[in-house]
Amino acid sequence: MSHTVLICDDAIFMRTMVGDILTQAGFEVVGEAETGVQAVEKYQQLRPDLVTMDIVMPDMGGIDAVREICKLDPNAKILMCSAMGQQALVVEAIQAGAKDFVVKPFQPSRVLEAVQRVLA
Amino acid sequence: MNALEYAELFLSESRENVTAVNHALLQLERDAEGPGAAACVDAIFRAVHTIKGMAATMGYAVVTELSHELETVLDRARRRELTIDSTIIDILLRGADSLERLVELAVAGRESELNIVSLVADLRSLRPMMVETSEWAIPRLAAANPTGLTVRVRLVPDAPLRSVRAMLIVQAFRKIVDVASTLPPEADLQADRFDGVLTIHSVADAPRDEIERVVRAAGDVESVEFLDGTEPLPPPTALPEPLDVPAAPSSGVRVAPGRGRHVRIDVRRLDKLMNLVGELVVARGRLTQLAGEVGDHALEESVRLSSRLITELRDEITASRMVPVSNVFDRFPRVVRDAARALGKTVEFTVEGRDIELDRSMLDDIADSIVHLLRNAVDHGIETPEQREATGKPPAGSLVLSAMRDRTAIVIRVTDDGRGIDRERVLARAKRDGIVDAAKTELSEDEVLRLLARPGFSTAEQVTEVSGRGVGVDAVYTRVRALGGAMNVRSVPGEGTTMTIRLPLTLAVVRSLLARVADEMYAIPLAHVSETIELTPDIVRTVKGKEVVMARDEIFPLIRMRRLVGLPHYAPASAIDLEQVIVIDLGDRRAGLVIDELTGQEEIVVKQFDAVRDGPPFFGGATLLGDGRPCLIVDVSSLL
Repeated sequence: MSHTVLICDDAIFMRTMVGDILTQAGFEVVGEAETGVQAVEKYQQLRPDLVTMDIVMPDMGGIDAVREICKLDPNAKILMCSAMGQQALVVEAIQAGAKDFVVKPFQPSRVLEAVQRVLA
Repeated sequence: MNALEYAELFLSESRENVTAVNHALLQLERDAEGPGAAACVDAIFRAVHTIKGMAATMGYAVVTELSHELETVLDRARRRELTIDSTIIDILLRGADSLERLVELAVAGRESELNIVSLVADLRSLRPMMVETSEWAIPRLAAANPTGLTVRVRLVPDAPLRSVRAMLIVQAFRKIVDVASTLPPEADLQADRFDGVLTIHSVADAPRDEIERVVRAAGDVESVEFLDGTEPLPPPTALPEPLDVPAAPSSGVRVAPGRGRHVRIDVRRLDKLMNLVGELVVARGRLTQLAGEVGDHALEESVRLSSRLITELRDEITASRMVPVSNVFDRFPRVVRDAARALGKTVEFTVEGRDIELDRSMLDDIADSIVHLLRNAVDHGIETPEQREATGKPPAGSLVLSAMRDRTAIVIRVTDDGRGIDRERVLARAKRDGIVDAAKTELSEDEVLRLLARPGFSTAEQVTEVSGRGVGVDAVYTRVRALGGAMNVRSVPGEGTTMTIRLPLTLAVVRSLLARVADEMYAIPLAHVSETIELTPDIVRTVKGKEVVMARDEIFPLIRMRRLVGLPHYAPASAIDLEQVIVIDLGDRRAGLVIDELTGQEEIVVKQFDAVRDGPPFFGGATLLGDGRPCLIVDVSSLL
């Protein structure tokens, strides 16, 4: 059975791209969230195997969403999607419980490597 | 998705984000210290950040660079290290302008045409002095570690965020055995002070192959070395500044269905669908008619069913083309602000009815016209603060842009409380140009509009940067009419001006009343029809040599279609065979259009039509009726 994924990003562009990469690699995208609040809600509903999480989102950012999700499920597997220049935020996200990170611009191979690490 | 589709998605989403930036900047400018200021800075930061992420992915280096510089400044503002003042807002607005142009250029592959050197320099001037990185203390750990385990991990040189990766490696290491110390220390890793070589020391021992496995599994590891505890640690090398280098754009990403409940559709595709469904509607008319002639019950039943489906299809496609006017209106606060600033005026700009929906193509088509009207209002309507105070008005002028639904039309209004149109001057100018009779002493509102709408007609004394010389009204008038809409102006000297645009809800399919005049068919869009009445002799009067109709305490002029198209008077076949009056209505102006006979209602598909030069101006298009006959569409606004 393929792994299920919840994609959290406020840009459709990014959601589409991450979705494309993961779908091609055989993942099943079961949900998308545009805000941190949605991400937490959908996590609770869908309990996906993997979450990709943008750091900067409206209505609760990605880091707070990681904290909330980890409260719900300490074993949540969350991959942070960061842009350049967000070193400090990625550190915070990792401390909050995210398992790994990828840096935009996304290279499909890097995304998939990171996903494998998170799911390992 | 292919590269082109990604580019289009990038463009549309970037535009939205630039609009959001402008919107929030203007709000910030009005109130930089208010309670909403932090939310504005956040919103701007997010929008710029989103653009940066997308641009980097697309490989648009200049967009990425500019958004990165903007983001750096905004991030400082977010963390309250920088106080937003008008200088900073100006620089950020310039940034937003450049970003807006750049995203368009980038998609066209012409990113490098815009020079952002001075802008970037200004943005950098807002940065703090760089933190000195040479002073941090390096703990000497190895010498004091005769026992235990020391591992040196070298990371892949081009790995992103290597310091964070190093943290993950330490985290993974900790799962096996306690970590005594690291070089650089974890605090430095957190602060991104890291050159790519991480040394981890543990007092306890652990199986080396196990350690190597988890360290490598943490990712981006080039090599793992186990050091003899006595071996001196390498001296710290000079560390580079934390630096982000955009990687090459990713490639090879291909189609996979999206999962969201929204998809973005190229508006051209919707246009195509709309045209097709329009043709289908026409074909349906013909089919229904033929089926009626055949008189077969089963056939009629089946035609009725497909007819209903076609109607639903048409309604769905029409609905899918509708977007809230805020899509375009949200750009305007910026336009007004810039115009007001350039002209030294103070303007309170309000937008009403942002949620009203309009056909996407129409909204795009009308956007420039609204900009013209807004600029005109700021330039020619609203006075300077001094002039306003001298006449007892508040120093800030009021400018309102509103959208509202009125039956099957959308009404867009631009209202200012400025000086109003000086009719004397319009009249004088018109006389000088020989457009109106020299004996004329007064102009009606319609005449004022018609004069202002003449190409090149202007009473402005100076040409200004903002609205140019009288440019605008004629272009707006032409555009509105081309869209099947109507426009009027109401102006009170000293109190202000309201320009009103009425537009049909959608372009392609128009519900119309069909009228026969002699052997010809004409279509009158229902959006402009308020009622029809029989032309009985008792309701016709002649006032000042013109025919008018009196109906329900109202009087309005009669327009005889036969006269318009050069036909002889109507000759009724019998006494009860009366002509019909279609009361056409443009909100505040009415007239009765006299035709021979009403033959029904039909949904007609407007075909662009090249009007004969110098031909009658009162036809706005043509169509084919269900039975295949051609039919001209009456442009109601030209009759009133």
